[in-house]
Amino acid sequence: MVVGLREFALRTGDGSPALDESSGEELMHVQPSVAVALGDRSVESPGTLYITSRKLIWLSDADVAKGYAVDFLSISLHAVSRDPQTYSSPCIYTQIEVVEDEDEEDEDEEESNGVLDLSKIREMRLVPSDSTQLDTLFDVFCECAELNPEPIEEEGEEENGHNWVFSADQMVVGGGGEEDAEWQISQSPTSVIGHSNGDESIAQPMLELQINDQRFDDAEEMVHENETKDH
Amino acid sequence: QLFFSYFKDLVGQEVTVELKNDLAIRGTLHSVDQYLNIKLENTRVVDQDKYPHMLSVRNCFIRGSVVRYVQLPPDGVDVDLLHDAARREARGG
Repeated sequence: MVVGLREFALRTGDGSPALDESSGEELMHVQPSVAVALGDRSVESPGTLYITSRKLIWLSDADVAKGYAVDFLSISLHAVSRDPQTYSSPCIYTQIEVVEDEDEEDEDEEESNGVLDLSKIREMRLVPSDSTQLDTLFDVFCECAELNPEPIEEEGEEENGHNWVFSADQMVVGGGGEEDAEWQISQSPTSVIGHSNGDESIAQPMLELQINDQRFDDAEEMVHENETKDH
Repeated sequence: QLFFSYFKDLVGQEVTVELKNDLAIRGTLHSVDQYLNIKLENTRVVDQDKYPHMLSVRNCFIRGSVVRYVQLPPDGVDVDLLHDAARREARGG
């Protein structure tokens, strides 16, 4: 689930962050001498920015127990900010997707009782001491964001109108459909498409052939195999 | 795929992207990918109340999943063409 910004302090022997190699997480880029500013807070430094294929990690150089991480899935947008009126130093500006609590007012209540709640942080700036690296960092962020699209729960994300897709179960739409299907069946009981309960096979052909993938793929493959054998 | 193709044709035009968190950002559409991630150039924030710090960044990358909608330039849209294309796509054709 989307978590937002969190603390991160798992380091390996050489000081770099421990990655989740079992899930294929890879280190994409390391940028030393980067300061981080969370929300409206002042900048924290010195630190090192580690960009992995899954998330962004900032580890403090001074304090081995201090570090932050946020998944690219949670980064709504990122940008190069160079406007001195907006912020004193050129930086990468990021927005983090935050789950809004219903209890709270619409305020940046990042601190309550003096304890910083990282999961409420909506904006984060990364300030490299070498500002010529900003464009490189921006590009790496873009790459990693593209590596982390929304997880797809079911096939067909690219298809338009997923609610409209007919599954075989929904095939019989109106009264007319069923009657037509019976009429068709009597003509060709063993249809090429090969459904035993053939009432959905021919009745409304064109719509489903395009949309329903797996069942019809098999039929096509079989046809192709026959063709190649002929050659 | 319809919107991806459509947005590719809009590259170079001014659009306003409204995010699900109510932030609206105006800029020139630089590129778009299959997840409808959007890169804008010459961006400026339309409504600065919630995010005053975002004024005039030069380029930005917006995750497709946080976009609520994209306001298109009225001249840049051939409504009839888009309407037909959408109808065709819905039919699966």
